[in-house]
Amino acid sequence: MREISLSQAVNEALAEEMRRDPTVFILGEDVAEAGTPFKVLSGLVEEFGTGRVIDTPISEPGFVGIAVGAAMTGARPVVDLMFGDFLYLVMDQLCNQAAKQHYMSGGKLTVPMVLRTNLGATRRSAAQHSQSLQALVAHIPGLKVALPSSAYEAKGLMKTAIRDNNPVVIFEDKLMYQDKAPVPEEEYLIPFGEAKVKREGADITLIATSSMVQVAGKAAEILAAEGISAEVIDPRTIVPLDETTLLESVKKTSRAIVIDEGHQSYGVTAEIASRLNEKAFYHLDAPVLRMGAMDVPVPFSPALEDLTVPTPEGVAANARRLCAGELIHAA
Amino acid sequence: MSAAKSKTKSKVTSGPKANAEDYLRMYRQMVRIRTFEDNANQLYLSAKMPGLTHMYSGEEAVAVGICEALTDEDRITSTHRGHGHCVAKGAAFREMFCELLGKAEGYCRGKGGSMHIADQAHGNLGANAIVGGSMGIATGSALRARLLGHDDVTVCFFGDGATAQGLMYEVMNMAALWKLPVIYACENNGYSEYTPTAEIAAGSITARAEAFGIEAFTVDGQDVLAVNGLAQKLVARCRKGEGPFFVELRTYRYHGHHVGDINREYYRSKDEEKDWKENRDPIIRFRAWLVGEGIASEQEIEAMNAEIEGDAAEAVAYAEAAAYPPASEVDMHVFAD
Amino acid sequence: MPHDVTMPQLGMAQDTGRIVAWLKAPGDAVARGDVLFEVETDKATMEVEAQADGYLTGVGAAEGDDVPVGQVIARITDSPDESSDKSPGESSSRSPGESPDKEPGESRHDSAGATAPDHAPDHAPDHAADDDGDADGEAGARDIRPAGMLQAVAAPAPGTRILASPKARRLALAEGLDLSRLARAGHAQPYHAKDLDILRAMPADAAPSAAAAAPSRHLTADLPREGFSAFAAWAADHAGLVDDAALLAGLAGGCVAADTIIVAHEAFGRRRLFHVPPGPLGGVTEVDDGTPDLTVRDLRLTRVSGLRLGAEEAPTLTVMTAGEGLSLTLECAAEHLTAAGAVSLVAGFAARLQQPLRHLL
Repeated sequence: MREISLSQAVNEALAEEMRRDPTVFILGEDVAEAGTPFKVLSGLVEEFGTGRVIDTPISEPGFVGIAVGAAMTGARPVVDLMFGDFLYLVMDQLCNQAAKQHYMSGGKLTVPMVLRTNLGATRRSAAQHSQSLQALVAHIPGLKVALPSSAYEAKGLMKTAIRDNNPVVIFEDKLMYQDKAPVPEEEYLIPFGEAKVKREGADITLIATSSMVQVAGKAAEILAAEGISAEVIDPRTIVPLDETTLLESVKKTSRAIVIDEGHQSYGVTAEIASRLNEKAFYHLDAPVLRMGAMDVPVPFSPALEDLTVPTPEGVAANARRLCAGELIHAA
Repeated sequence: MSAAKSKTKSKVTSGPKANAEDYLRMYRQMVRIRTFEDNANQLYLSAKMPGLTHMYSGEEAVAVGICEALTDEDRITSTHRGHGHCVAKGAAFREMFCELLGKAEGYCRGKGGSMHIADQAHGNLGANAIVGGSMGIATGSALRARLLGHDDVTVCFFGDGATAQGLMYEVMNMAALWKLPVIYACENNGYSEYTPTAEIAAGSITARAEAFGIEAFTVDGQDVLAVNGLAQKLVARCRKGEGPFFVELRTYRYHGHHVGDINREYYRSKDEEKDWKENRDPIIRFRAWLVGEGIASEQEIEAMNAEIEGDAAEAVAYAEAAAYPPASEVDMHVFAD
Repeated sequence: MPHDVTMPQLGMAQDTGRIVAWLKAPGDAVARGDVLFEVETDKATMEVEAQADGYLTGVGAAEGDDVPVGQVIARITDSPDESSDKSPGESSSRSPGESPDKEPGESRHDSAGATAPDHAPDHAPDHAADDDGDADGEAGARDIRPAGMLQAVAAPAPGTRILASPKARRLALAEGLDLSRLARAGHAQPYHAKDLDILRAMPADAAPSAAAAAPSRHLTADLPREGFSAFAAWAADHAGLVDDAALLAGLAGGCVAADTIIVAHEAFGRRRLFHVPPGPLGGVTEVDDGTPDLTVRDLRLTRVSGLRLGAEEAPTLTVMTAGEGLSLTLECAAEHLTAAGAVSLVAGFAARLQQPLRHLL
């Protein structure tokens, strides 16, 4: 199978959906000729014109609000939010307006929009361009949240997101844009709420999202060399969450570590760990561990920034302890 | 200068008799709004209505004057003080009262309430409880019309208080850049919650829009014919791609900020309220004009009023007796299929 | 000069240590290298040796106490009575003006520079599950722990809840397995599903002995010292009965015996058995083996002043020094003696020790 980058995969998904459905359009800062700072959208304006690939002023609440209104009245906007950190700017439009319209109207109004943004530290971009804020939006009923972990997922999830009748926030890992993966030539969609078992294992389940799927995969390699068989699962969407696949795996392995690049406290890892605790408690042979980013603003200095995110070695170390039956936090 | 524009003679004032039906419908809609609010006020005061509500009484000419210039295809976005827009855009009393009382037959199956009534069938994209929160939605609706080649127009209702929200400037900028078919209708009722507008808004309201190159108008919001005349003209121009527009409608709310805002003399006097109610009431003024022009007799007007009161009483009784939504609906409509 | 005895820091992430046992008593002479006490940490139990010669004084922590590492818990002084000048726990590291009645646990930061565990982020990726609220807040940083944060418990603390995973508990319950057997056999906690294999392989428990299962009896009595010592002197001088042990065994046996019984005598770690026939003490003879019907434990020359050891194979009478007098403790299982029988035995033995001539009557 051919291999393309995550960036190309997103570009293909958008182009295919825009060809298929004339109501799909792109809105955001420097999305047209510039093709975004990450060049993800390069070439789209040439095919679809500035009428459907619309450059906006630097007005995040404004253009997200506009996308909500367009979606409520029959279009399918894909909003480009240049950095995930800018979510804070658009919280009212996203969480008070987009997320609630369907419910507040008793099901009469729908908001089929996609908010494309990104996550991920270690790009030396400091505290306001490095955050992974998926927990923030996953907390809000009415928003779906997708976290692609490779080019394959990025394309399939984007196409599904565009066709979904709800507001979907899709986070791409900005360090992964040039990472290549096998992506079929033929069309495919990845349904929401279907986790992917990335690697099968028997001793411990590593549940990882987005950027952390690679970290978990590398940890599994380290562990394999020591005779520990780790299963790696990518939920792919955290809202909706495929509990069934996660629970089945954890019931099989009896141990789990949940890894996500958002801040560890009150985060995605906590939510998933809690569900495993509630629904697989009597199958657990060790406490479910969370591994997220440190609870600090992301520092600039590479010497510090690299300390803030989970690493394969750290995941492997924790997995080793769980499998050894060590007492985690002596009672 | 913009005030001068508002006094331009409009189509509807050119031949009163010929448009009798339109005039009577406008009068009827204004009385329906006033009657709806009187009933809602009573429901609230008698503790039959839960929550929080904001009365539109006094501002009827604004909603009716504008909405009578729109079709069901045209969209509006409304505000927390939104019952008037909802009625003016064609909503029925029964579903409205049901919604106010949280009943299953309400427009939003009881999930929205007073501050979130939406009536999509008539182009009402919904009231919004965030002040200024719907400005993006209205602008987006207009962008959609442009994008998909539709000729509908969107009117964004908001109050003078919402001019303090940054979102307004972001979306007006984009609407102007992209020449979107949207009309920003600023209902300036003189008070931003409990504070006189002069204390929260520096400079001119209309100049805010003019800074973006948006044509702006000021009109007497108590004169339904003036409002409607301007609205007809601007809607037509929007359809031709000449939008966006901004209109400041000078009006007055008879009640407090919300039902229960009783002792309000610290921010406005009873004399002022009395003057607006007795001398500038949009319904009294329009009724006198209708009778004076021979469009309707006093008896016909009284009969219309009585009929509307009967309708409202019937709708209230219906809503009071209607069923609440079943518990099974609580987690329904979080996500669309 | 006095030498401080402190709670040692034995592990990287150790905050406190528990004193399992003192092996020296206040006032005892100690030599450098003598074991002073045993301490249990999250890793292991260790013996702590004296670092100087002198006398153990100012002991400020008792067995079972959890003591912050670095805290002074005793002193080694030049004389056995130097302890009264300073109360325990008041080390020289205490800052001037600091409240002397500070809780022991709070003093840890007094000497933080010397003793606080190193919380430097030398192990950055290892920050899962670290929000347990034991805020090391003064560091102003995330509490990244060294690897030592994850530790196995070496031995079960008696009487505490057994630590086992939910899965291990579920499987044990389903299979009727008793996790406490793993603990009694000394297997390290917590238990996981794989530990059940060990449990499954263990031989079935012997039927629990009635002695262990039945409730035990514990009775005490106090009496003056002079009666027995005077009698022993008299017996040695006039009857040739020079063996204190035989005398005690005979007196004790006389309290219960209708027939000849075997009485064990324990003192100074030595155990002897005696045939005690009814009648005169001169009939008591030492034997080489047999199953005792009664044990007399003579601890008069030790500092033990009270005990509760639980029932043993036979009713056990322990004689100890109590102030100017003696104290007497009987421990036995319910099946050994009825309540009335136990009271009768203690009362009878106490009476005989106080007035040994009663035995002759």
